[in-house]
Amino acid sequence: MSAANPIHVLEGYKVLDFTQFVAGPTVTLMMAEMGAEVIKIEVAPAGDPSRIWPVQKDGRSGYFVQHNRGKQSLCLDAKSPEGLAILKELASRVDVIVENFAPGVIARLGLGYDVVSKLNPRVVMCSVSAFGQDGPLAQEPGFDWSGAAYAGTLHMIGLPDGQPIVPTIAIGDVSTGVHALGAVACALLYRERTGKGQYVDCALLDSYFHYHEAPVQLQSLSGGAIRPKRMGSHATYTAPAGIFKGRDRYFVIFAQIDHLWAKLCAAMGRPELTNDPRFADNSARVAHLDELAALIEGWIASLPGDDAVMAALREHRVPFAPVLTLEEAMNHPHLRQRGTVRRVRDRMLGEFDVPGFPLRFSEFPRTLELQAPTLGEHNEQVLARHLGYAPAQVRALEAKGVLHRGDR
Amino acid sequence: MNPGIGRHVLDGYRVLDFTQVVAGPTATLMLAEMGAEVIKVELAPAGDPGRLGPVRVGERSGYFVQHNRGKKDVCVDPKNPEARTILRDLAAKADVLVQNYAPGVIDRLGLDYETVRAINPKIVMCSMSAFGQTGPLALEPGFDFLGAAYAGVTSMGGEKDGAPYFPMIAIGDVSTGVHAMGAICAALLYRERTGRGQHLDVSLLDTYFHYHEASIETHTLSRGEVRPTRSGLHSWYAVPAGVFRGRDRYIIIIAPLQQHWQKLCAAMGQPELATDPRFATNDDRLRNLDALIETIESWIRSMPSDDDAIAAMREQRVPMAPVLSVEEAVRHPHLRARGTVRTIRDRILGEFDVPGFALRFSDFPEPLTLDAPLMGEHNREVLTGLLGYSEERVRELEARGVLRRGES
Repeated sequence: MSAANPIHVLEGYKVLDFTQFVAGPTVTLMMAEMGAEVIKIEVAPAGDPSRIWPVQKDGRSGYFVQHNRGKQSLCLDAKSPEGLAILKELASRVDVIVENFAPGVIARLGLGYDVVSKLNPRVVMCSVSAFGQDGPLAQEPGFDWSGAAYAGTLHMIGLPDGQPIVPTIAIGDVSTGVHALGAVACALLYRERTGKGQYVDCALLDSYFHYHEAPVQLQSLSGGAIRPKRMGSHATYTAPAGIFKGRDRYFVIFAQIDHLWAKLCAAMGRPELTNDPRFADNSARVAHLDELAALIEGWIASLPGDDAVMAALREHRVPFAPVLTLEEAMNHPHLRQRGTVRRVRDRMLGEFDVPGFPLRFSEFPRTLELQAPTLGEHNEQVLARHLGYAPAQVRALEAKGVLHRGDR
Repeated sequence: MNPGIGRHVLDGYRVLDFTQVVAGPTATLMLAEMGAEVIKVELAPAGDPGRLGPVRVGERSGYFVQHNRGKKDVCVDPKNPEARTILRDLAAKADVLVQNYAPGVIDRLGLDYETVRAINPKIVMCSMSAFGQTGPLALEPGFDFLGAAYAGVTSMGGEKDGAPYFPMIAIGDVSTGVHAMGAICAALLYRERTGRGQHLDVSLLDTYFHYHEASIETHTLSRGEVRPTRSGLHSWYAVPAGVFRGRDRYIIIIAPLQQHWQKLCAAMGQPELATDPRFATNDDRLRNLDALIETIESWIRSMPSDDDAIAAMREQRVPMAPVLSVEEAVRHPHLRARGTVRTIRDRILGEFDVPGFALRFSDFPEPLTLDAPLMGEHNREVLTGLLGYSEERVRELEARGVLRRGES
């Protein structure tokens, strides 16, 4: 490992990546962002199914590019004996294997942890799945929101008497990827000290359930007296904390702690409300939530515009935020300045925006320039570099269909 | 460390923990779950505001217990110079320092990164905040959902023309803790190889923005033609994927991929729908979304019960899930079997449920038994054990109020 002048914190680590769509690729993308060498295995002939996801231009998918920057692509017929032999050789030479097939698939490919750990006792293997590798639901097919449904988290979003609402972003997939990244890094730390690899089982359902910062405990410790549920736009055990309607936009306002409530009263020019018995402490405010929300929205409506609302709240340091549309968020100077939103350049798609790398290391203040691979782009490079194949051997394997290449 | 010895993967690492409420404590709880020694520093007189979180029995908070199991606790008067000396001495002995005060506060405690690094060049310091340590919003007060609002995430959940909803779970806080945990472990890996510590800047806003698995790239690559926003119960780009109304419950169905759509048609006993020109491709289905929803929901209603509809879909392996309430989720045999929900015992509160540890390591299949500390419970243990203070001196510091102790 080249520790002298590393490009980032994980430089030198080699990852064999059997992932597709979002959850798995998030793990390996984060590792690539940290300088690891990621060899993405794509199953011939189509490769990662997300290669056809929108937006597509000339057969190149922005979705695929976002989730696979910085990875090398090796595309092969995993069911052919030669393909499997190549995978086993690679598995014996890498530090980490990540896969997010349905449980059992990687074992049927001949690369279950029992096999892999014999080839390479130091390897950290991480399986990412919807419901986990064991348990009654393990074999059910699952996508992001299925985990939210079974975790009781979907139950927590929407109007109390209405339907639960799906946030139309892949909260669970991305978060499962981040959980898996942490688990892999910890398992590597353990390996560096003990020489022992191990197997890590990460599930979407577990990640969603992890979000219950209070509801599970509330329900359980209250002996069922509290039954947490979706409550529309306001928190119910603390107030005011919720979404308030402005003239042209919505605001999130948090003033549920007494000193913050006093600041909100001052911002509203109504300091006497601080001691009003209806609103004097959190339980009084919760009990008078409708009145409280009407009062705050009435104040908002009385000002000349939403900017005046924001100025007053900001002046009194009331925690609040305007609910930005996606476009507003992408153009916000804070998100641009910190690289929270990042412009990438793809050699085919040109420039476009993606979420930036969310981890910031003082030793490596710059983010890496990473390109998403075309299908099988690195067949020759990977086989030559890691397994010592000659170019002619690689071409022969491509001619036989053991290896595949695409132009996108 | 010898192979196979140790309580868990991070056994031997020492963490100095200046975190409070949820986001920061999630990071250090995960480190504690993995065997790290976590020393939580609470600032007198009140300590972590999470101690006021519900459910409280007497002065003991289930909320605090959930987020602080397995941590040792030292409580100091932050204004006292001797206390500051103690904190600096502890920083010299720690591998990791984590804090989630508002930016600038840790500096005023005399523990800005430059100072900490001078004391302990190998330390990994992680600062967690709502908007990050830099940028125009850095100094704004922040809570979980404020990051969501600025990330454009709040705008993605709710009916298309209605108010956005407020998820009743701390998605962002928990996930920011997971991001921080991953960053810390990656930085420790780097330190093991190079001997260099560093400073990490992890924010809620970055975490929320990371969830945009498709919205950012589709918006920019389509040159603004695609404007993702909340779309109620159904995905705005993949169909069918959303929440469907059953007789008594809601059911998530995710069948936008062609093979899953065919399976759903088979489950509904209407295989001809798979090639119906209204529904043949994802684009067709997107154009005819209302008709498609009606077709699927009327099929569900035509079944004797929701369970029969679920059974029919399960038989065809259609990705779907019933939307469980929190009560149903905590009782579900899969969540119990895997320890996704876990019953813990607190010495004051007794037994109750919390989310289990979300990471699973094959070398350590059993989760650790972790107890949440009383305030200042480990003043003596930490100062005598780690800093070599005499018991008498600790008692004297407690008598003078430099160190504090509480009963809960």
